[in-house]
Amino acid sequence: MLESVEIENTIDIDQIKVESRQLANKLNDVQPKLRIQNISKSFQSNNRGFSALEDINLEAREGEFVCIVGPSGCGKTTLLNIVAGLEKADSGEVWISGHKINGAGPDRVVIFQEAALFPWLNVIKNVEFGLKQKGVNGSQRRNTALEYLKMVHLTKFQHAHVHELSGGMKQRVAIARALAMNPEMLLMDEPFSALDAQTRWILHFELQNIWLKTKKTILFVTHNIREAVCLADRIVILSTSPGRIKKEFTVELPRPRDDNDVNVAEYSTRIMKELKAEINKVVKCEMDADSCVECDIKCTTEVPAKTDVGGGI
Amino acid sequence: MYSIIKRVLFFILLIGIWELLFRFGIWPEYVLPTPVSVGKTLIHGFHDHTFLIAIAISMKRIAIGYGISIVIGIFLGLLIGRIRIFEETLGSLISGLQTLPTICWLPLALLWFGLNDRAIIFLVIMGAVLSITIATDTGVKSVPILYLRAAKTMGARGWKLYLEVIIPAALPHIITGMKQGWSFAWRSLMAGELLIVCLGLGHLLMIGRELNDMSQVIAVMIVIIIIGILVDRLFFVKVEQRIRERWGLVKV
Ligand SMILES: Nc1ncnc2c1ncn2[C@@H]1O[C@H](COP(=O)(O)OP(=O)(O)OP(=O)(O)O)[C@@H](O)[C@H]1O
Ligand SMILES: [Mg+2]
Repeated sequence: MLESVEIENTIDIDQIKVESRQLANKLNDVQPKLRIQNISKSFQSNNRGFSALEDINLEAREGEFVCIVGPSGCGKTTLLNIVAGLEKADSGEVWISGHKINGAGPDRVVIFQEAALFPWLNVIKNVEFGLKQKGVNGSQRRNTALEYLKMVHLTKFQHAHVHELSGGMKQRVAIARALAMNPEMLLMDEPFSALDAQTRWILHFELQNIWLKTKKTILFVTHNIREAVCLADRIVILSTSPGRIKKEFTVELPRPRDDNDVNVAEYSTRIMKELKAEINKVVKCEMDADSCVECDIKCTTEVPAKTDVGGGI
Repeated sequence: MYSIIKRVLFFILLIGIWELLFRFGIWPEYVLPTPVSVGKTLIHGFHDHTFLIAIAISMKRIAIGYGISIVIGIFLGLLIGRIRIFEETLGSLISGLQTLPTICWLPLALLWFGLNDRAIIFLVIMGAVLSITIATDTGVKSVPILYLRAAKTMGARGWKLYLEVIIPAALPHIITGMKQGWSFAWRSLMAGELLIVCLGLGHLLMIGRELNDMSQVIAVMIVIIIIGILVDRLFFVKVEQRIRERWGLVKV
């Protein structure tokens, strides 16, 4: 796997970057790829409504990689599910390429925290699943699936069963499965958070390379600032209860980036500093609520050192 | 390996005791036949094809009845599992009917179909269908929501969603229901064949009784047990295990 990462790196990234920028700019004069307008959502719990998302407005350009970062429970998954059409917002609208969305659809494929591969199908059939739903015929389906399996370096495992794969491999199959459908957007909900640091590091590389190759618009949810800096063009910070857009950062580091790169680490630390107030609020709030079971106080009370690979809120 | 030896020894011992009981002459032969005469009847029965024909007839009935109950059972289970109104109405009927021993359907079967194959097949269906329905219902309700969400974002809907996602995802439950349904079906088949006399293994058992041929009765019983074991152990247990392994429900 390490070998293949190195090979991928030799692509002329600057060239691709310039091209995709130009293309993106041209299109964005007309309309953004994704427009989230005044989205609000509240949940009913113990007969009390509480607001999970409040008046979210967000746009993404064609080919942009946007990361949504926020502490646990701030509504990241809820927002992503609303964009995916898996959940309904109380108010507001979501537009994709100028079309208002109404329910789930194959133009916005979601990659979940757990791979959600179907265990009754082998790897290649999993990748073909979406194409089959679209009605693509057998041999064409197989070819497309193989092409994307190749992109995630798993052609050798095309006939393996899901239970024979490691967590990282499963997630790569899920990425191939999503890409094979050639969706307008990829929606990713903490896809790498269940993986070990090593695998995550490799997948950060692969995802960046895939993104550079396919120029997909990606909305990526994470609670890990370092991961966001490593991947995103733009980072959107959500605050908690109610979930609101707190701040935005643009990351302009050369790609592909490395988790452990000094610049990435420095940038993460800078964002962390700016967010200190918000983080403290969350910690305090959770301490007051006397429910610290899930909050990562260890990570949140101290600024992560440069050697800290995780660097989560 | 060791356990197989133990098992073989146990059966040899059992047959030995049986032979001894006969030698002591406690019971006359028409009450308790010798192992040897049972063995002879078995060989003879297979040799002149009477056993084979009976097995074929019984297997054909159960194949038809069980096949129909799989289709009906999965269909009803899907209805109950996915649609609220069927859950509230049909669901309660099904769980009520399940308390009824299958053989209680016999009078109705005779009235509707008469003394024939169709009545027996009806009994087989009534034996298996409820277990399969209930298991499918449970399976459908425990399909991980993640699979459904993934399928929906990939554009699966309508009957394709059922056929390609919900049913396969529910398969570990369905196969357990099918296994239980099989054993109920097999019992109802035998009961039906004993009471509605028209060929088959159950009928062969009744002939044994009428001829006062105890060795035939026991020989047929052994055949029935062996078929039951073959289907249950060699087919269902294996398939169930495979599926659970694939679906990631057990560690390999
Ligand atoms: N179906 C639901 N019913 C009630 N409350 C819900 C529901 N789904 C989410 N919530 C609440 O909405 C809030 C936001 O949830 P969400 O899952 O979007 O958070 P998140 O940012 O994805 O958190 P994490 O980082 O832990 O995944 C949480 O407080 C959660 O308890
Ligand atoms: Mg979440």
